[in-house]
Amino acid sequence: MFAEFKHTMRRLRGQMIGWGIGLALYVVLMVSFYSSVARMGNLYEELLKFYPKEMMGFFSSIREINTPQGYLDIYYFNYMTVILGIFVVGACASLLVGDEEKGVLDLVMAHPVSRTALFWGRLLGFVTATAVILLVSWLSWVIPSGRSGLELTWIKFLQPFLPLFAELLLFGTVALLLSMVLPSGRMAGMTTGGLLIANYLLIGLANINQDLKPIVKYTPLHYYQGGYAVSGLKWGWLAGLLAVSAIFAVLAWWRFQRRDIRVGGEGGWRLPALPFRRRAGAGREA
Amino acid sequence: MSEKVALMTQGLMKSYGKVRALRGVDLEVQRGEIFGYLGPNGAGKTTTIRCLLDLIRPDGGTVRVLGIDPQADPVAVRARTGYLPGELALDSNMTVEGALRYFNTLRGNKADWGFVHQLVERLQLDLKPHIKNLSHGNKQKVGVVQALMHRPELLLLDEPTLGLDPLMQHEVYHLLREARADGATVFFSSHIISEVETLAERVAIIRQGVIVEEAEPSQLVSMAIRRVWVRFKEAVDPTSLTEVEGVTLLSKSNNIAVHLQVEGEMDGLIKALAAFPVSDFEIERPSLEEIFLAYYESNDKEED
Repeated sequence: MFAEFKHTMRRLRGQMIGWGIGLALYVVLMVSFYSSVARMGNLYEELLKFYPKEMMGFFSSIREINTPQGYLDIYYFNYMTVILGIFVVGACASLLVGDEEKGVLDLVMAHPVSRTALFWGRLLGFVTATAVILLVSWLSWVIPSGRSGLELTWIKFLQPFLPLFAELLLFGTVALLLSMVLPSGRMAGMTTGGLLIANYLLIGLANINQDLKPIVKYTPLHYYQGGYAVSGLKWGWLAGLLAVSAIFAVLAWWRFQRRDIRVGGEGGWRLPALPFRRRAGAGREA
Repeated sequence: MSEKVALMTQGLMKSYGKVRALRGVDLEVQRGEIFGYLGPNGAGKTTTIRCLLDLIRPDGGTVRVLGIDPQADPVAVRARTGYLPGELALDSNMTVEGALRYFNTLRGNKADWGFVHQLVERLQLDLKPHIKNLSHGNKQKVGVVQALMHRPELLLLDEPTLGLDPLMQHEVYHLLREARADGATVFFSSHIISEVETLAERVAIIRQGVIVEEAEPSQLVSMAIRRVWVRFKEAVDPTSLTEVEGVTLLSKSNNIAVHLQVEGEMDGLIKALAAFPVSDFEIERPSLEEIFLAYYESNDKEED
């Protein structure tokens, strides 16, 4: 398991460096702007009166932009589920299936490594890589904050990262599970990415249309605190997100235990046969 | 299962949706032998090998590899096995050495790195380049090295010389014979008949997911249809020859020479010829390739 963990970390090191440095630069820039934004408190309130209500639905925290939690939410945590979601969905959808589709997994699995060790070794590698990216972001908020008036302790800064981490794990494990049941990793990535964006839009729209509220509570992003976790973590929500992620991970592992490892030409399954597809494939036997 | 048996399948079946890849494969390979698994593309060779390693799960039948059920304990089977896939794919961003070290890590660093260097030298492989910069033949060499480097008890090789030049093919044959001499069992698939004829001590021919023949290459040749030219000292009536079981007259030339086809043993024909004044006698010995094709043609006719 450790060999696969190390291998996954080595493979994701480019992603960790790219995302880590990119987000760190962005965060440092945002930290440096905070004191200016905080000073503009009354001006912002005047400005917000002219904002369209649809926009306010998606970025409701803008009303509190001159507070630390509002500022963190609007400039980082509000949309980081989608931004970092691109990384996690891509990484998880191809965590095992990517190698399978390239034919690499065939040889790897011919070595004395169990499917369980391979699965959890790689998943642990992904979880660690995600944690490293978030850790770099967190440090980028914490270290320069003293000089910008963002008067939060390092623990307060850490709090909103936990729900973000849990959401990323949840969507990552969904992508992983779908990669085990859908015909290709790309399809799993696209489906999960679609679900993530749809959820994000639904949350914004529910702030405008109250009829959507009952639906929203069944979606993962409803339980995402964003920057407001600075004021206090909802541990129940966090535990719930982690528990659901664990369930998806176990389901993906269960599926991986039982499925054939595909190689080119050896019949990865297709979408259910539609009438015209069935006709085309009729009588095939080799 | 006897301890002398390296691998055994009974009634092995595997389907991919409607495609029946294996329809009841029965195989038995003894320890220490080089066993050739012959068949054209799509016959079920790769599927059989992948069932042996629990990479795919059979729909029915029994599999034992080195006495172990691969589904019950795949790690134990793989620890004692070296595998070379038919469609070898390696992580293209690794160097040759990086890939070999990674595979060695998966094996708990059990390979003797001195032996790895010997293999690399004999196959004229450079350890430094990235996999993505290697030719197909050089990638295949990496595959051969990783299969052999931990000195496995059983080698499962799917088309082992695919993409190698003739010199390297012969070097691989030498390596496999050396592995066998050290006690390993070699099970390899191929659609190259000359390779099987050169290397294998026993051969199984698979066709559409069923073993149609299993024997030593020389037995296959002796069991096959042969053509016989007989020249007589004087004109004779060859009718009595065609009455021998398995003998068919193909052509005759003024009753002085006959061209016969013999199916099965030669004994009956030779005894019948004793009554004739024979001046010359020639048997066309078929190659394994002709036998292989004969199996396929005869089965096709049966199906028609």
